[in-house]
Amino acid sequence: MDDQRGVDALVLRVAILVLALALPAWIALSVAVVLGRLRYDRRLRDVRVDELRPRESARLIRRARGRPRTEWGRWRRVAALTRLARAHDLAAPSLLHPALADPDPRIATAAIRSLGDLGDEWAIEILVAALRSGSAPRSRIAAELERLAPAPGLRFMPLLRDRDPAVRFWGATLLCPYPEIAHENMIALTWDPDPNVRAAAVETLGTRSGDAVGAATLARLDDPAWFVRVHAARAAGHVLGVAAGPAISRLLADPQWWVRSAAKDAFRGMGSDAVPVLLPVLTHADPFARNGAAEVLQDIGFVDALALEQPESPLLERIYEAGGEGLRDAAEHRAEERRPSRNARAA
Amino acid sequence: MTEALGIVVLVCLGYLLLTNLVYVVLVAIAAIENGVRRHETSSEDYRVLASSRFTIPVSVIVAAYDEESAIESTVRSLLALDYPEYEVIVINDGSNDATLARLRNLFELEPNEMFVRRIFETEEVRAIYRSTEHPNLVVVDKENGGKADALNAGLNVARFRYVCGVDADTVFDRDALLKGMRLVIQDPARVIGVTSHLTIARDPEHAMAAPPGKRPIDGSPLLAYQHLDYLRAFFNNRLAWSKLGFMLCSVGAFQIWRRDVLEEVGGYSREFTCEDIELTFRVHERFLREGRDYEILCLPDNVGTTEGPDTAGKLVAQRERWQRVIDETVWHYRGMWFRPRYKSVGLVGAPFYLLTEVLAPAFEVLALVSLPLSLVLGVFDLTVFGVMLLAIAFTNAALTACAILLDDLQSRTYRKRDLARLLLLAPFDLVLYRPLIVWARLKGSWRFLHGDKAWHKFERNAREAPA
Repeated sequence: MDDQRGVDALVLRVAILVLALALPAWIALSVAVVLGRLRYDRRLRDVRVDELRPRESARLIRRARGRPRTEWGRWRRVAALTRLARAHDLAAPSLLHPALADPDPRIATAAIRSLGDLGDEWAIEILVAALRSGSAPRSRIAAELERLAPAPGLRFMPLLRDRDPAVRFWGATLLCPYPEIAHENMIALTWDPDPNVRAAAVETLGTRSGDAVGAATLARLDDPAWFVRVHAARAAGHVLGVAAGPAISRLLADPQWWVRSAAKDAFRGMGSDAVPVLLPVLTHADPFARNGAAEVLQDIGFVDALALEQPESPLLERIYEAGGEGLRDAAEHRAEERRPSRNARAA
Repeated sequence: MTEALGIVVLVCLGYLLLTNLVYVVLVAIAAIENGVRRHETSSEDYRVLASSRFTIPVSVIVAAYDEESAIESTVRSLLALDYPEYEVIVINDGSNDATLARLRNLFELEPNEMFVRRIFETEEVRAIYRSTEHPNLVVVDKENGGKADALNAGLNVARFRYVCGVDADTVFDRDALLKGMRLVIQDPARVIGVTSHLTIARDPEHAMAAPPGKRPIDGSPLLAYQHLDYLRAFFNNRLAWSKLGFMLCSVGAFQIWRRDVLEEVGGYSREFTCEDIELTFRVHERFLREGRDYEILCLPDNVGTTEGPDTAGKLVAQRERWQRVIDETVWHYRGMWFRPRYKSVGLVGAPFYLLTEVLAPAFEVLALVSLPLSLVLGVFDLTVFGVMLLAIAFTNAALTACAILLDDLQSRTYRKRDLARLLLLAPFDLVLYRPLIVWARLKGSWRFLHGDKAWHKFERNAREAPA
């Protein structure tokens, strides 16, 4: 009986203790939710997002100057820096340096984003230096550099000669929107020992024109790295159009799916000009090449035109043979759907 | 007899105390993580990500089975995503209703042969359709094979390096993919999986029509309690798991994965009741066994609203399935329990699931039987019993209020009056909502023990007709 009373008392004591902690916690948290929300709504009404009052600016500068040791504290510093940069506060540039050097790449990235907000000459310099050092994700730095105006294209030239292939890669990639810059260097980079650099150079050349550019893209169709061949197929299609067709058609039989897919994309981009190049591929020894050619002929509308105009054509039958039953069924289905509206128009 | 009963009650209370202590620790960690993510988000410029050619393209895969009422709003929300380059692949998994017909009519689909890779064996693909209106929409019509099979069929068609598996009953925010991919873009070598916070509504399209800050929370208490359940799961648990390196469930409604990882581990498995938890465990197991550096993250950003069951029967059907898959997965990966080789997943995550999810129904049954009995037999008097119930109810309410606070700090999505209603509902969870969940868990555990692996899909809610 005494034991039972003891258990009873123990449970009661524990329950009261838990209740004494939980009930005030629930009330306090509930009040925090409601008050926090009211405060947020009021601030939203009162203040324009990028505008800083002098007192707020001073508070943010103090916070940005601090040397917090905890992750939480570092993030508060980054948040302060972001607010200062967005408000174009004069103190922002000098305060960004420590955050850029932070060993945590996420914090360095946040600082990089703030540099993009500043967007002046100093910021470009720092961003390019960060791209070289790799202190933050390079794709993120590149995204910031690309949105800067005036366009910093010439600043990327030295990157093409960097010893680090990752830097050369980003140099070649970032020069894509500048067709007037670094023509020869870019062609030279298609022979770079690093396949990533070759891929980036070929991709950038795909947005340019000229015989030398075309020749460079064609040369890379036989690159040992499959992802270089992917970019080469697309680039050669863009630069040379149907003239590159016979060379690209070889890639329809490439062992890599991605390369075959890129070759198909290149032919789709050529539209109906690709038809004469693709027809001989329908009888290729490789089944991937055959069905790839049939698929492109379907996607550019050639199959549908034949199915409507000459449904008994032996050529259509050849395409169906190459593409298989799925392609035949889909084409016949589409033709059936289109025929009534066509007949109605004719009537 | 009474002595034994007293011991049983003490064991149950000890279990409850222990689990709540664990939850309090997790909430503290989640609060820190939420704060860090909030600062990250506030310093992020989504306009740059949305317009940059360096933002990694994504293939979004929607597995749809008998979703004729929900599919339109889901696909429309996906086609409206603010993301530079992505494709939407809808897999009609042998639906018996008009899902495919609706898709064909709504999005002007035409049959179109595509020669895709066959990385994963799936049920037969009947036809592939392309939209003449939306070039980035592909619909695959295949024989029924279950959600995992449908997602694998989507992986075969997907063109991009990252895939995002989503549910066909979920409506997404315009920036859902940007929010989800934000951390992947920063470190694609390490971040191999991401999930994010989703909310719940009876009719997601209707709920998402309101702008953030004015979004309503469903008026029905059943939906409101499910909303609270989601908040607790995401903010009190998953955020902390993510911080501690054992994100154990990349939720099926929004799961971003690096595709080569899925290919490496063999894709989604058809051997389990649901695919999401098992896949997450499998990826952890593989990467930790091989000592590879990786991260699977859960983000606090609200990316969309999913449909919640609007009747108790449907809710029980859904939750018993969830219980089953947890039991199946935790048991299947029992080799990871308490093994230092599996780091925090083996030492903390899997045992945590074992304690709070797998064993919970057993303790809940014990408590349900022993507590009333102990009251009747006079082991405890009514006052002790009452104080105990109040303590449990307010502990749960405090944890729930924490989740509401973390959510509101992060997203400021809901109307103030709805937040107040949620806070007031929280203490009554124990008597109004928890019994349903306990029943569902019991059913789920029972079916797990009997080897039942059927999906038991709940019937879709009736939705408002589009204007």
